[in-house]
Amino acid sequence: MRRGRLNKGPKGMRIKKGKATVKRDLFPHSTTGNIGSFMHWKGHSLIALFVRIYLAWVFLSACWFKIVAPASFALDIATYEILPLSLINIMAIWLPWIELFVGVMLLIGLRVRPASLLVAGMMVMFMVALGIALAKGLDMSCGCFASSGADEDPISMLTMLRDAGWLALSLYVLIFDEHPIGVEMIPWFSRRFA
Amino acid sequence: MKSLIRDTLVVLLLSGLVAVAVNLFRPNPLPWVADQDYETMVPCPEPLGEVDEITVESDIILDDRTLLIDAREKDEFELGSVPKAVSVPFDWLDPVPEEKVAELVKTRAARVVVFGDGLDPDSGRELARELAGRGMRNVSFVKGGAKALFEAGLGTTGGAP
Repeated sequence: MRRGRLNKGPKGMRIKKGKATVKRDLFPHSTTGNIGSFMHWKGHSLIALFVRIYLAWVFLSACWFKIVAPASFALDIATYEILPLSLINIMAIWLPWIELFVGVMLLIGLRVRPASLLVAGMMVMFMVALGIALAKGLDMSCGCFASSGADEDPISMLTMLRDAGWLALSLYVLIFDEHPIGVEMIPWFSRRFA
Repeated sequence: MKSLIRDTLVVLLLSGLVAVAVNLFRPNPLPWVADQDYETMVPCPEPLGEVDEITVESDIILDDRTLLIDAREKDEFELGSVPKAVSVPFDWLDPVPEEKVAELVKTRAARVVVFGDGLDPDSGRELARELAGRGMRNVSFVKGGAKALFEAGLGTTGGAP
């Protein structure tokens, strides 16, 4: 780095060749003050690690049955009566693998933010589907973990609350886990996946 | 933010590729598009009410103010039932028609006693719950159903259930 070309600016900001380059951050304006210090608190990484392990356990246990028995999962999707017939099987084939990928990524700490973004997206999607099914008054199984009868895993407002909880956890990881504990701390990984 | 979106799309793409590959090599791959509608049977929830369970010894079965309902199939009813009983066959999928419920309400019976096949689940109990849920009051069902009533000697000579 040559002297004179990089000048220090306000906290959290660097001025290079007269052009401001703000730190890559979801909330660049909160780099100062109490909010900023809370955002960058190092303890988030440790809390997020436990959250990630929990979410990974949820998704890895959810995807297993769906990968092994995609036909049953397709029937579960069809029961919601939301997707057109042409998309049901594609969803049944693809979605479990997304769940597996994000589960593994959250567990090992690889690309944690994209993984948590996908978790949040899936949670929103599931909650919309559940909301529609509940509004229709369908008495059916959730199909979230394994294909079962409505008596075993019925959809309800509790299912919605559960998904809302997982959505909140995924958003926590997405927003606060700036330095995830995991494989990206290993130099070899950080070089290749930077 | 760009890298976040890029990485997310990469994960979606990779998971899609793996999903395609695994499905191709399955012994019974799931077709990409279903060729016929899935047969999803989701029962529409009927309002169910609270009902009392009574035994064949109960006096209210033969009480004049009691409306006795046979929940079994029509042909079973015709083979033999309990005197004064009316036939309202219980259907697991279709609710009792509105007109039929209105007709039962018009009898102004003090109480309603339903008996069915006595199996588990008992069609009599299910019909009783349905009727109670649809506004009928003082609804009971006979434990053991028609079989118990016949064994107690309360059935007609038309035939045993």
